[in-house]
Amino acid sequence: MISSSSTFGKLLTGRGSRQGLWFLPFLIALAMALWLAATTSQFGQWSNLANLVAQGMPLLITAVGQMFVVLVGGLDLSIGSVVSFTTAVLALDLPVTVTIPGVFLLAGLIGATNGYCVTRLNVHPIVATLSMQYVVLGITRVLRPVSGGSVPDSVRWLVEGSLFGLPLPVFWGIVTLLVAWKLLYGSRYGLHLSAIGGGVASGSNDAARNFGIPANRNILLAYVICSLFAALAGVFLAGRIVSGDPNVGLLMELDAITAVAIGGTQLSGGVGSLHGTVIGVAVLALLSNGMNLLNITPFVQTAIKGVLLMAVVALQSRKKIGL
Amino acid sequence: MSALVNSTLFRRVSKIPPSYYLLVALLVILFAARPQMLNANVLGVFVRQVVPLGILVLGQLLVMRVKSIDLSGGGVILLINYCISSGIFPGASLGFYIVLALAIGLAVGLFNGVMVAKRRVSAVIVTLALSIVLVGFVQYLSSGKPPGDVPKIFAELFNTRFIGLPSPVLFWIALTALMALLLSQTVFGRFVAAVGESMPAAHFSGVPVERTVILAHTLAGIMTAIAALVQTASIAVGSVRVGLDLPILSVAATILGGVVFGRGEGGVWGPFFGVLCFAFLFVVMTMFGVGDAGKLVAQGLIILFAAIFYGLRAGK
Repeated sequence: MISSSSTFGKLLTGRGSRQGLWFLPFLIALAMALWLAATTSQFGQWSNLANLVAQGMPLLITAVGQMFVVLVGGLDLSIGSVVSFTTAVLALDLPVTVTIPGVFLLAGLIGATNGYCVTRLNVHPIVATLSMQYVVLGITRVLRPVSGGSVPDSVRWLVEGSLFGLPLPVFWGIVTLLVAWKLLYGSRYGLHLSAIGGGVASGSNDAARNFGIPANRNILLAYVICSLFAALAGVFLAGRIVSGDPNVGLLMELDAITAVAIGGTQLSGGVGSLHGTVIGVAVLALLSNGMNLLNITPFVQTAIKGVLLMAVVALQSRKKIGL
Repeated sequence: MSALVNSTLFRRVSKIPPSYYLLVALLVILFAARPQMLNANVLGVFVRQVVPLGILVLGQLLVMRVKSIDLSGGGVILLINYCISSGIFPGASLGFYIVLALAIGLAVGLFNGVMVAKRRVSAVIVTLALSIVLVGFVQYLSSGKPPGDVPKIFAELFNTRFIGLPSPVLFWIALTALMALLLSQTVFGRFVAAVGESMPAAHFSGVPVERTVILAHTLAGIMTAIAALVQTASIAVGSVRVGLDLPILSVAATILGGVVFGRGEGGVWGPFFGVLCFAFLFVVMTMFGVGDAGKLVAQGLIILFAAIFYGLRAGK
C-alpha cells in the first residue's frame, strides 16, 4: 500500500486534490492503448485511429458538457434526449441556416429550464432533468417517430471531410476542448463553478453566495452549457448517421456520467478536471474499440464498463453519504 | 409568488401529496368518459400490471428517504428473470426460486448499502454500475436471446383471485401496509426519518446513520427481488429486456407520491397512489388516443409539476 502522504501516493489516490483521481484512469487508458497496440495489428493503423476518434467524439462532447453540471453538484439526465432531438431537427426538410441556430437556441432553452427548476424552483437535479428527458423525448418522437429523413450535405461534410490531412472529427474535439478549457480554466466563471461545487460538496449550499458569487446564475449557466454541448454532439451524430433518429441518444447521458466519473470528477461537486474527463472518455472509447478488434461480444464490454466504473469510483473517498 | 406560497390555503393544500389529486382527477375523467370501466374487475386488471412497479417503489421510497437512490433494479430483475426462465436449475421448486431471488436481492441490497454508507460512493454511480454489470452478465449468459419459459406455477399464482380481487394486487397492498407499519411504528422508522432530515444531526443524536442507510438499501434490494418475482410471473416468459425502465419509473412514482430525497411527507401511501396514477394515466391517455410520444411528455410534465409543487413549499 502506498502511503497517501507521499506526493506520488497523492497523485495515485487523488486525495485532497481539486482535480480528483485522474492519474490512475490515465494509467489504465495508457495500459489499454499499449496492450492493444501490442496484441492487434489493426489498432495502430490510421483508419482505426480515425475511427476511434469519430466514434468517441459524441461521448467526448456530451461528457465535457456533463462535467460542468457535475462540478456544481448537479446531474443532467436530459442530454440523451437533446442529442436525439437535434438529429431529428436537422433531418427536417429545412435549410441548415435555420435548423442549426434553431437547434442551439432550443437546446439553450432546455438547459435554462433545467437550471431554472433546479435553482429557483428548488427541484432536485435528478428529478428536473429526468422529467425534461421524458418531455424532450416525447417531442422528438412527434417530430420523427422512427429513424429516417436526410441530413444536409454540409453537415455531412463537417463530419466526414478532412482538412490539412486530418479528419474533421479531430477539429471538433479540439474546438470542444478549447471552449471548455477557456470556460473552466481561463475565466472567472470556472473558478466560480469550483467554489459553488466545493460548497455544495461540504454541505453548505450558501458558501459561494456568502462570498458574493452569484450561485444561481452560474448554476443555471452550467445547465445551459451542458445542453449546448449535447446539441453539438447531436449535430455531429446527425452528420455521422446521415438521418434523424429518435433513439440515437438513448442512454447517452449514462455513458457521459460514466466517463465523467471514471475521469475522477466527483458527483458531490467541486472536484474534477477537464483532462480527467478526456481520460474517462478515452478509457471508454478504447474499451469499445479494443473489444471490437478482439472480437469480444458487446455484452462482456457492458459488464467490464460497469466493473471499471465501480472500481474507479470506489477508490475515491469522500465525506458525504448518499447521491 | 411568495405570497401565494406562504398563504395558509396553499400550505394546507400542499400537505397532501400530488398523487392524491391526480388520482382523483383521473378517476373523474374515467368516470365521465367510460362509466362502465369503473368496476372492480376492469380496474383490477389495470392495477395488476403495475404491481411490480408498486413493490419496487416500496424499496425506492425507503432509500430516497435516507437521501440515497437505487437504480440497480433493472439488473436485478433481469438476473432473477434469467435464473427462473433459463432452466439452469432443472426441476427446482417454487420455494427454491423464491429463496434464490430473495438471496440475490439481499446480496445486491447489502452491497449497495455498504458501498454507499461505508465506502461513501455516490449512490447514483454505484447502483447504476451494478445494474450495468448485471445486465451485461445476463446478456452474455443468454447471448442476447430470450432465455426460455417460466415454470407454469408462476403464471397460475399470478392469475388467482381472492375475494374478487387479483391476488397480486392484494399482496401489494399487504406489503405496502407492512412498510407503513415499519416506518411509523418501529425504531428503524424513526431512524430513517432522522437520517433523512439531517445526517449530522442524526449522527450527533446517537442515530447509527451508516447502519440505517445499509439496512434501507438491503430492504430495498429485497423489495426489488419480490418485484422481480411478480414481474416474471406476469410476463410468464424469459426476456433480456424486462424491467429495464422500472427503476427510473419507480423514482418518478415516488416523487409523485410526495417523497423527495430526504423528505417523507407522502409516507408510504402517497407513492402507492403515485403508482396507481401511472396505471390510470396510461389507461386514460390510451382511451383518448394519445400516442407514446404524448404519454412521455405528459409523464415528464406531471413529475416536474409534482416536484415543483414540493420545491416551492420547502423554500430555499
